[in-house]
Amino acid sequence: MRDAMPASYCTLDHDGCVVCADAGIPVRVVSVEGDDALCEDAAGNRAQIAVELVAPVGTGEVLLTHGGVAIGRVAAQEEDSQ
Amino acid sequence: MKYVDEFRNGALARAVAAEIASVTDPQRHYKVMEVCGGHTHTIYRHGIKDLLPDQVELVHGPGCPVCVLPMGRVDEGIEIAERPEVIFTCFGDMMRVPGSKGNLLEVKAEGADIRMVYSPLDALRIARENPDREVVFYAIGFETTAPSTALTLQRAKKEGLRNFSVFCNHVTIVPPVRALLDSPDLRLDGFIGPGHVSTVIGCRPYEFMPHDYGKPCVVAGFEPLDLLQSVLMLMRQLGEGRCEVENQYGRAVPWEGNLQALKAMAEVFELRPYFEWRGLGFIAQSALKLSPAYTDFDAEVRYTTPGVRVADPKACQCGEVLKGVLKPPECKVFGTACTPERPLGALMVSSEGACAAYYNFGRKSFEKVEIGSRP
Ligand code: SF4
Repeated sequence: MRDAMPASYCTLDHDGCVVCADAGIPVRVVSVEGDDALCEDAAGNRAQIAVELVAPVGTGEVLLTHGGVAIGRVAAQEEDSQ
Repeated sequence: MKYVDEFRNGALARAVAAEIASVTDPQRHYKVMEVCGGHTHTIYRHGIKDLLPDQVELVHGPGCPVCVLPMGRVDEGIEIAERPEVIFTCFGDMMRVPGSKGNLLEVKAEGADIRMVYSPLDALRIARENPDREVVFYAIGFETTAPSTALTLQRAKKEGLRNFSVFCNHVTIVPPVRALLDSPDLRLDGFIGPGHVSTVIGCRPYEFMPHDYGKPCVVAGFEPLDLLQSVLMLMRQLGEGRCEVENQYGRAVPWEGNLQALKAMAEVFELRPYFEWRGLGFIAQSALKLSPAYTDFDAEVRYTTPGVRVADPKACQCGEVLKGVLKPPECKVFGTACTPERPLGALMVSSEGACAAYYNFGRKSFEKVEIGSRP
């Protein structure tokens, strides 16, 4: 796993357009701190993500983030079955 | 890598491709539009096209927000960015979109304080850290991005930040698709719906496609297998004479969307009566502006942008490519006067733009394209 990024910078990456378009990155919640959560992407990058729009969230849940904000969740049953 | 590897399995992909071939009518030509630029990117990057039968043609849609932004809006952003009191923040791709007199990167080189951010929340942080400056965020994107701008504005209002504003260029996905369906020069058999937009708006907004236009739509995820499976689902609908909205991306897209995100958007934004789209012209109710409750944060009000209209360069055929009438290499300046290094049109800028995706990943198939050979 790479070093944790400074939490105030959001640098989760994924191939595709990371800046503005229809990109969503699945990340796992490491810890929740109020309206934000520390999340980790598949490559081990960590960043602070705003989670108001999917609240309440718990540790270990998989969220879909876009530009530093969680916009959805990835359903657990399907994630394991595919 | 979890959530990724299982959707990039080569053997599985070939099996799905074989199934697609088995339900394809060899006598028929199928034209399927992928609405979203993210899908265009996946299609080229992973060579999806090469796995599909020749009868199945993928047409790239208008779903790259950088690419559909008209030049006038770029110029207005530049005007705000040039003000000495302003720290102008925007997403990286935005910096290289050509306006009529250059792009944001050039203005930055001349001394304007323009900073690239990954999230609108980063712009908010810059505003907090620079109370004596005016921080403007250039908001752009479809319903995937609009919730993050909405949430940022909600936080700014809660904090009572006075030196933060948003130049809002958010657009919505349904009106341009409707405009495309109304346009006589395009014959499509079905749509691959945008996955992450749908995480927010759900699947219901696409029901007009089968109901009003008789076109099936499959909402798709972004991994190569997601796309192949979506093509298969579409081909099955066409083969069986069904016509409905189906959700391939159920693991991330609830049928009703994300109600919390929609609520935040409804509070912060309202529909513009009309908005200009590059290559598509003015489309009614196709973009968002800040609602009256957020006027204090509206850069258009703070800096009274004049709403200029600027025509695209003559040689540029982005409009035809956006509408799926031309393939990228069929544009007269593709790869010559227009390259990712020196883009003439916006479709060459963003990695999701059809021309950039074609240029970077599509060379192999590009060589195979016989211009004008397709109906
Ligand atoms: S090659 Fe350049 S000018 Fe032509 S359609 Fe593509 S982006 Fe536009």
